Amino acid sequence: MPVRWILHWQPNQGSSVNSHILNEISQCVDNFNGVKDGRWKATLTFYRPNLRDSSMAATEFPRDFIGISLMEVPNKYFFIIRGHKLVLEADSSILTIFEKLQSYKSKVALNFEGLQYKLGDFQVRLIKVVPNTAENLRGILMEIEYLPISSVEKAKPIIEEFVEIWREVLSKKSLHGQFMRAEPNFAEYGLSDNYTWQHTAVQYAAALAQLIASVQSRN
Amino acid sequence: MRGSGNYRDTGTGSSEVRLLCDLEQTEPSWTVRHVGGAMRGAGADQISVLVRTMVESKVSKNVLRMFYVLGYRLDHELLRVGFSFQFNRGAQITVTVSSVNKMLKLHATDEAVPVTPGIQMVEVTAPASAENYTEVAAAVQSFCEYLAPLLHLSKPGVSTGVVPTAAAAAASLMSDGGGTPL
Repeated sequence: MPVRWILHWQPNQGSSVNSHILNEISQCVDNFNGVKDGRWKATLTFYRPNLRDSSMAATEFPRDFIGISLMEVPNKYFFIIRGHKLVLEADSSILTIFEKLQSYKSKVALNFEGLQYKLGDFQVRLIKVVPNTAENLRGILMEIEYLPISSVEKAKPIIEEFVEIWREVLSKKSLHGQFMRAEPNFAEYGLSDNYTWQHTAVQYAAALAQLIASVQSRN
Repeated sequence: MRGSGNYRDTGTGSSEVRLLCDLEQTEPSWTVRHVGGAMRGAGADQISVLVRTMVESKVSKNVLRMFYVLGYRLDHELLRVGFSFQFNRGAQITVTVSSVNKMLKLHATDEAVPVTPGIQMVEVTAPASAENYTEVAAAVQSFCEYLAPLLHLSKPGVSTGVVPTAAAAAASLMSDGGGTPL
């Protein structure tokens, strides 16, 4: 499948993410003659251990256990444990199994919603990150997919160039921030050069970790 | 061949899950399976087959490590070697004939020894939904009755003792004209 990069909006020190920034970026994509290609959605869930024995310390269990569902593959579910460089692809029935096991419960869920655009050989998705139970914007992501190539290494220089063009365009808008990429080491997750949905899941987890870190540093 | 491990969560109360690895493929493939308790009550007693919930999910190869990281520990590990047959007789029926083996060392499938040497396990299963399980149970029961001259199958938990091999049962049938002692 085509390689995609996931970038997160990093506000400058003292700035925050807001819907004005999102609108300005959308405007840029429209100005680039991007063709709107539909809506897009994903959900990311943080899980915590369901400790029935109060003497058990929560620290004995992973704190970064994340699940991701992607609209494009509704019959699949992905688990990531970043601290252990672990990614698992499963049928979506794995959620039913975990509900029955009752060992882990959903703590917080975030919705990723956005629009996708076609720009030549690229597909771009502009994504807002909102909590499942609220409407306030928590972050902005941009997904850039280069359709002709499925090799991570071969796509790198091409997507890098595309990202640079975007950064330059957006820098003229004085949006007090820029898109950054938390580039995960795919090999550490046991992933090959051939791009897969697991690569996407790992990138989302990495991007989200950066969003959380930047929110925490501002607070 | 299929290896399977039963994993039990040690921190969050009783929570068991089975991880199955199909070793017959060129690339081993994994499945997570949760098997629920048997259906109970007067209705269940009327049914001559065991009915219980089961949920499965195919997963990628990291599943073993993931469950360890999540706090699950190995309870036991078995290797099943045998054959699987598919029938369509009122339901989609799977019959497996297999020997169950234990591994003397962790994951050492080459060093497995039979749990009950010389004895194979025959399992007859069929998937069902909440709406049609009585029909499926009847189809499974009917199929078991069809196999009765060769094999006496019983509801798990209801022991019938050790069954002679199919060959011995067939020979006995032909010489006695019917009725195989169990």
